[in-house]
Amino acid sequence: MIPRFGKSQLQLLLVGVGAFISALAIVSQTHQTRLLFTMLQAQESERWRLQENYSRLVLEYSTLSAPHRVSAISRSSLTMTSPDTGTIRVVAE
Amino acid sequence: MSTKDKSAALFQWRIVVVAAILTGLFGMLILRLVQLQVGVSQYGNDFLQRQGDLRAVRSAEIPAYRGLITDRRGSPLAVSTPVVTLWANPQQLLGSGRENELAELMNLSVADFARRLERYRKKQFMYLARHQTPHTARAVLAADIPGVYGQREYKRFYPAGEVVSQLVGTTDIDGAGATGLELVFEEKLQGRPGKKRFIKALHGESIRDIGVVDEAADGAELQLSLDLRLQHVQHRELLRAMNETGAAAASAVTVDARTGEILAMTNLPSFNPNRRGQLDLATMRNRVVTDVFEPGSTVKPLTLVAALESGEFDIETLINTSPGRIKVGDKVLPDPVNYGEISVSRVIEKSSQVGVTKIAQALGHEPILDVFARFGLGQSTGAEFPGERSGRLPDHDFWSAIDRVTPAFGYGLLVTPMQLAQAYAVFANKGKLVPFTFIAQGEASGGSRHHASRQVISPAVAEQVITVLHRVTGPEGTARKATVSGFGVGGKTGTVHKVGSAGYLDDRYVALFVGVAPVSAPRYVTVVVIDEPSGDAYGGGAAAAPVYSRITQEVLRIKNVAPKSAEPESGELILAGSGEGDTSA
Repeated sequence: MIPRFGKSQLQLLLVGVGAFISALAIVSQTHQTRLLFTMLQAQESERWRLQENYSRLVLEYSTLSAPHRVSAISRSSLTMTSPDTGTIRVVAE
Repeated sequence: MSTKDKSAALFQWRIVVVAAILTGLFGMLILRLVQLQVGVSQYGNDFLQRQGDLRAVRSAEIPAYRGLITDRRGSPLAVSTPVVTLWANPQQLLGSGRENELAELMNLSVADFARRLERYRKKQFMYLARHQTPHTARAVLAADIPGVYGQREYKRFYPAGEVVSQLVGTTDIDGAGATGLELVFEEKLQGRPGKKRFIKALHGESIRDIGVVDEAADGAELQLSLDLRLQHVQHRELLRAMNETGAAAASAVTVDARTGEILAMTNLPSFNPNRRGQLDLATMRNRVVTDVFEPGSTVKPLTLVAALESGEFDIETLINTSPGRIKVGDKVLPDPVNYGEISVSRVIEKSSQVGVTKIAQALGHEPILDVFARFGLGQSTGAEFPGERSGRLPDHDFWSAIDRVTPAFGYGLLVTPMQLAQAYAVFANKGKLVPFTFIAQGEASGGSRHHASRQVISPAVAEQVITVLHRVTGPEGTARKATVSGFGVGGKTGTVHKVGSAGYLDDRYVALFVGVAPVSAPRYVTVVVIDEPSGDAYGGGAAAAPVYSRITQEVLRIKNVAPKSAEPESGELILAGSGEGDTSA
C-alpha cells in the first residue's frame, strides 16, 4: 500500500531531508577543517625547519666567505697576491 | 449540583492549577535559557562565553622574523636564527619524578638542579635554558618528560663579529634593537608579532589552535651602504696601527662623497656582539660619531676656502712667514723652521702656523667660522646615529686677539671624525654637500638625495683646494706617507694635543689624517684617527697617514678605480666597474 501524502506532509518530509543533508555537510566540513588545520600545522613546522636551515646556511656561508679567511687561503694555498699597479691593464668599454 | 459533580469540578480545577504551575516553571526555564544564550544581561551570553574562554582558550604570540641586515653586496651582518627556549612547569615536573633524568639530559648537576627546582616548587613556570639551538632542544624535548616545554624564539647572530659591531649594534634578549643601527631602524626591522588562539589542557599545553587573530608580519631586510670587504681592510689596518704605535684607540671612516654613502666605519678596541654578558661599554662606542676632539691642522683647508672666497688670496699669493714665529696677544705661535716667503698653497703643504695665522688675521674670524658652519661643523650630519655628537663652534662674547685666530688652525672648536669626513666630501664632490647615509642608495633614490644636497662652495674653489691637498702628499708636503702607489691622492694631516683636567697635555696626542682619492676624479674620503700613539711616531703624518695610504689602496682596488699608469690609451679615465654598477660586484 502506497501511503498518500498531503501537501503539508510533503513539506515536512522536505524539511527533514534538508536537515539531514545539512547535518552531513557539517560533518564533512568539520572534517575538512581538521584536514586543513593539520596541513597548516605541517606547513608551519616545515617553515620553521626551513628557517632553521636557512639561517644555519647563511651563517655557514658568511663564516666560510669571511674576507680574512678568503685572503689567508688565497695567499697561502693558492699563492695569490694583490696585483701591483704596474701590472694592471684597464679595458675600455 | 450533585456531590459527584462538585468533586469532579474541584478535581478539574486542581489539574488546571498544577498544569499552570508546571507550565509556568517550564516557561521560566525556557526564559532563563534564552536569557543565558542570547540575552545581554550581566550574566548573559557574553559573560558565559568570556568565562569559558578564560578557562580554556589562550592566545600565544607568533614571533615575527626580524629583518636581515646586510652590507651593500648582500653579505649578512645580522641574522635572526630560530632557537628554542626550554621552560618547565615545576609542579608537573616534580609530580613526574623524572627531574634527575632531565638534569642529566641537560648536562646540569643533579644536586644544583634539585635545589633550583625546590625554589620554584610553588610556581607554574621556570626557564630551563634560553636560546638553545633547535638541535639541542629537540634532544631534551624528545624525552617527553611531563612539564617540559619548548618555546620558539629568534636569536640574533652577527656573522661579521667585532668588525662592524659598534655600527650594526645589538638587540636585547627579547630581540628589540638596543644599540647602533639595530636601534635606529628598529621599526623597519622588527616586524609585527602575530597572535594565535588555542585551546589549552589543564596545565596549559596546547590541544589545538583555533585560529590566527593577527598574522605575523616579518621585518624588512635592511641593506646598508657598508662594504664588508672595506670594513675588514679598515679593521686589519687599524689593528696593525695600534700594534705599531701603541695607541689606545683608533677609528676610521670611508665615505663615497658623490652619494653620501658610508662605505666603512671602524672603531678599535671593539667587542664581539655574539658574546653577551661581558660587554665593556667603552668598546661599544662608535667613536666616529660620538667622540669629539679639536681638529687641529685638518681644518686648515677650510680656512683656505675662506681665503680664496675673500678674493684677497689665490693659492699662489705669497705670504712672508719670517722669522718663523708670530706673536698674537701674549702667545707666540712658532713654525718648526723659518719657511721665509711662501705661497698660500705652500702654507697648507707645510702646515705653517705663522702663514695660517697671517691669513686669519687678514680675514677676521667671521668668514672662517661661516665656512665651518656651511661645511656642517657644529651640526649633526643627519646620519641619525644614536649618541651622535654635533660638536661645537667657538662662540665668545669678547673675541680676544688669540680667540680670533685659533679656529683657523683648528683649536677652540670640537668636531667628530664623521664631520671631518663630511667637510672633505664637499671638496671631493665639487663643492656640494650630500647628507650622509648608512643605507645603500639604489638608482631610484638618487634623485631625492640629489634634492637634499646643497652647494656650499663653488666648484672652482673646491678644485683649487683639491690641488693643494694633492700637493700636501707630494715630496714637499707633510703627508708623504699618505701616497698610494699608482694613484694621486690628496689630504691633510693633523696632530692635536689631548685635553686633560688641567688643560692641554704635553705628551698625549690625537693623530689625524683626512684624505680624498683619487685626485683625478675625487670620490672617496677617508678619515683616520689614532688616539694617543706613543713613541716618536705620534704625529698625523707619521702615525695616521700610512694607515690612510694602506686603506685607500684597497678602497681604490675594490672600487675598481683604474690606476694612472693603466689608463686606457683611448678615451678618458674610466672606472672599470662603471660607477654605480659596483654595488653588485
